[in-house]
Amino acid sequence: MIATTDRLLDYLADLVERIERYGAVVLQTDDDELGWGNDDRGDLLMDVRARPPLTVRSRSVQLTFQERWEPVGRDTWFRREYSYELRDHVRDYRRAFHRHDEARFVRTFDVVTHEHCEAPMGRAACAHYYCAPVASAMDALERLYDVWLTGAIPDCSALRCLD
Amino acid sequence: MNRLYYTPREVADALAISDDAVLDLINRGDLPAIRVSPRIIRVPIAAFDLWRSGFRPVRRTVTIRKTTGTLAIGEGEVLPGPRERVTG
Repeated sequence: MIATTDRLLDYLADLVERIERYGAVVLQTDDDELGWGNDDRGDLLMDVRARPPLTVRSRSVQLTFQERWEPVGRDTWFRREYSYELRDHVRDYRRAFHRHDEARFVRTFDVVTHEHCEAPMGRAACAHYYCAPVASAMDALERLYDVWLTGAIPDCSALRCLD
Repeated sequence: MNRLYYTPREVADALAISDDAVLDLINRGDLPAIRVSPRIIRVPIAAFDLWRSGFRPVRRTVTIRKTTGTLAIGEGEVLPGPRERVTG
């Protein structure tokens, strides 16, 4: 995924707007200003945390959206890594879509992305599951929010194990 | 367990409008919904209640700030090891 700086500014605003339209609460932005972090390597970092709409069940549920974009040209960024996660401490499960350590995953499994599924949390029958690339943080939001909406505990055994 | 979403049909009933009108609201991006598949659409109840109350999120201003922090994506995860090269 490639984007310009202006597009990334809109992208983050779009994500937060979508989260709030779903009735979820963005946790770390008390003011109206959101930001990309620009780290020592020159990469842009996104770290957004949200909680589903306040119900008794949602108090211990967290959605996280993390991305690392690296510069690949003049005003052009490439999404090098991502981690989109849903942790439901009430129903005791974790779902996560990841892209990181690309060379290692390609060398071992011939894939760039993978998924984690733990139910109960902390116990995984398989360390890495096959996962189609996630198009954007909005795509991840829809997929993970739907997992939470259904109220069902994920059936990790239905996923394809890479290991 | 209480359901956390409505189907488009349930939204149509609540608003006393047709199913097509609900789908039109969703397709226009007016009514928040999750398209699980081409045939399955879910409207989060919380989102519906907010939408019906007239709530619309304030568009945030996004900036880029220098940070000394970092993101440790994948840290602590058991990474796949390099496989033995197959010979012969």
